[in-house]
Amino acid sequence: MGPRHWAVDRYLVVSDTELSNEKEFYFDEVVTALVMFSMLWAVVAMSVGVYIAAELIWPSLDLGMPWLSFGRLRPLHTNGVIFGFGVSALMGTAFYSVQRTSHVPLFAPKLAWVCCFGWQICVLLGGMSLLAGWTSSKEYAELEWPFDIAITILWVCFGIVFFGTIAKRRIKPIYISNWFYGGLIIVIAMLHIVNNLAIPVTMSKSYSLFSGAPDAIVQWWYGHNAVGFLLTGGFLGMMYYFLPKQAERPIWSYRLSIVAFWAFTYSYIWAGPHHLHYNAVPEWVQFLGVGMSLVLLAPSWATMINGIMTVSSASEKLKTDPALKFIVLSLAFYGLATFEGPMMAIRSVNVVSHFTDWTIGHVHSGALGWNAMITYGTFYFLVPRLVGAKLYSVKLANIHFWLALAGTMLYVLSMWGAGVSQGLLWLSLDAIGELSFSFKDIMASMPPFYALRLVAGLVFLFGTMLMTFNLFMTIIGRPTIQVEPPIVSEEWAVK
Amino acid sequence: MKDVVSSWLLFRVLFNPTSVFEELSNAEPQAHLIFLKYVLWLAIVPPVFAYIGASKFGWRLGAEQPLIVPSNDLVLISIAYFFALLFGFVSAAIVAQWMASTYGARHALGIHFALIAIIAAPLVAGSVMHLFPHVFLNVVGLIPPLIWSMYLLYKGLPIVLDISPERGMLMASALIGYLLVGAVSLLGLTVALWGRGIGPSIGI
Ligand code: HEM
Ligand code: HEM
Repeated sequence: MGPRHWAVDRYLVVSDTELSNEKEFYFDEVVTALVMFSMLWAVVAMSVGVYIAAELIWPSLDLGMPWLSFGRLRPLHTNGVIFGFGVSALMGTAFYSVQRTSHVPLFAPKLAWVCCFGWQICVLLGGMSLLAGWTSSKEYAELEWPFDIAITILWVCFGIVFFGTIAKRRIKPIYISNWFYGGLIIVIAMLHIVNNLAIPVTMSKSYSLFSGAPDAIVQWWYGHNAVGFLLTGGFLGMMYYFLPKQAERPIWSYRLSIVAFWAFTYSYIWAGPHHLHYNAVPEWVQFLGVGMSLVLLAPSWATMINGIMTVSSASEKLKTDPALKFIVLSLAFYGLATFEGPMMAIRSVNVVSHFTDWTIGHVHSGALGWNAMITYGTFYFLVPRLVGAKLYSVKLANIHFWLALAGTMLYVLSMWGAGVSQGLLWLSLDAIGELSFSFKDIMASMPPFYALRLVAGLVFLFGTMLMTFNLFMTIIGRPTIQVEPPIVSEEWAVK
Repeated sequence: MKDVVSSWLLFRVLFNPTSVFEELSNAEPQAHLIFLKYVLWLAIVPPVFAYIGASKFGWRLGAEQPLIVPSNDLVLISIAYFFALLFGFVSAAIVAQWMASTYGARHALGIHFALIAIIAAPLVAGSVMHLFPHVFLNVVGLIPPLIWSMYLLYKGLPIVLDISPERGMLMASALIGYLLVGAVSLLGLTVALWGRGIGPSIGI
């Protein structure tokens, strides 16, 4: 029992002082559940990532079975990490932070449970449908129409719980993290519905309402803004709540965070066409995409600097808290991905980088270095507080930090090497102006890079498993503790 | 405080880094001396290796035949590489100095030049791989020096700049962000130059 007391006592002190109020507690059980599901999906989906990384070296690993083929496992990986791991983490942290920044328990807690379990079932069955070969063939929106409808309903429930909580808040200002989580909910709803408009033919097959160039534009409007409002915006919500909380400092510049929020919202929406350079979409659309991508550098870096400056004076926290390290490093990789992105959006760079593993490297510098790392930092902070216990092992967490850093660096380096080689080889001309190399020859020379990426993936996955073990040991056998909202001072209270 | 640091610094940092950190933490080297004595040479070595390697063996990108780049272009590319590295070193030192005030670290530019020089030393030593410009071998060969560099950065920064290890950790991570951006800019720049017809002939 020992370590539990410090936290329980601390919270009890708060509640004793306000005995006059009728008791009311934050609703955190659903947060604990979502965090556990998120970790589970992280391990499963990254294992699939490792498996497809191995398949790219040894294609026969599919054992001749369609459901083990690269084409089916790849969307399982991407959907698993983004919707299983990522969205579960975002839902959980949104539910946790919106209560604390609104000073009220969750609105409609039962509905929150529906979101939690509904989402898990959706990811599970959706994953199985991908293995069975159901696919709409739109990247990151592969799930077929029955799932699209289920997702829409669950997402609306998510919105009701979240905005319901904000609506009944006791404190007047709406804290910046809620703007980002709110943006995530609204924009993803919009993107998901528009991009998945389709005519069902059978249970497992539908045809998109869009075709040709408009289809491509809508798809990458969706695809890029999934990056913008989910992998960036959602996780920035996480950052803006948990980073100041851990550093025990206010955000370095609150004004900058608001300005950056609106800058993100207005510019991300237009940047999608940078996925379609030199394609059959009007050139001005492509240039618009380039322009907006370059503009995006400003709010991205402003946000990174805001985060880095917030922790800069809180270094003493690092002595005891392994979580903060992850968050600081995640900001460095966020800086990398958001510099690399605008650079790759420039057409003269994209002409080489497109169709190469450089893109894969960019994706994973964001996915591993930013999304996963900040989530890990948040979980190491959050889980002990949810159950009122100390972290099972700080030492394991410190080992995890180095594994995560090494895994990400190796992943990015191997893909940079592979990507630039491919870019050069695809395009190189011989003396009479013909392409020098065939696709087959070039791909035949890639296994060494892919082997390095496989090692990187194993290292990263191993770290993730250590964390999962560490946090499950922290949670196991302990109920989620009950925390009461503090009293809001007159000045800020909603009247 | 000494205003000069002993020579062989860069060699010692490869084998006995702690003594170098201690020495630097008590030294106040002058920026221009460090620049002329160390930084400049560090920036010259990789392009020279790269030039020799590329002209002797051609770029081995994995395809059957190596890619032979005309020697005029190679000279241009190597010079561009030199300036890019120099820019990288100098800007990293300036960025480190700029960050120093945030983390309460020592502020003299000389010490930041020295810091960047010792962090770069293993990578420059590793650039001997450029003598055989096979991309994969270079990526793999640079991994051990990279690990060593990162170790020097995280371990050495707080000692050399005289701050607590925790602050050192924060500052080192922030600096890694800058260095990663520097690395990816090098890629972007290279690729953009190809598009302009400098380098291998590609069909754009
Ligand atoms: C300012 C921010 C960013 C910009 C302007 C940007 C730009 C780009 C560009 C130009 C591409 C390559 C498109 C192509 O050639 O096909 C790309 C791909 C991608 N980026 Fe980013 N990026 C940014 C940040 C991020 C972040 C933070 C993540 C987080 C994980 C991310 C995830 C992705 C993904 C998943 C793809 C692959 C899309 C696909 O082809 O399937 N990006 N991005
Ligand atoms: C153990 C860690 C991981 C490994 C080994 C891994 C491996 C892979 C592999 C082999 C691919 C296919 C690349 C190709 O088609 O050539 C891929 C694609 C992808 N992965 Fe991962 N992955 C890992 C973690 C993650 C995480 C944590 C995320 C997101 C948060 C993620 C997001 C993606 C995305 C979005 C793509 C598609 C990229 C594109 O289409 O351009 N991965 N991954």
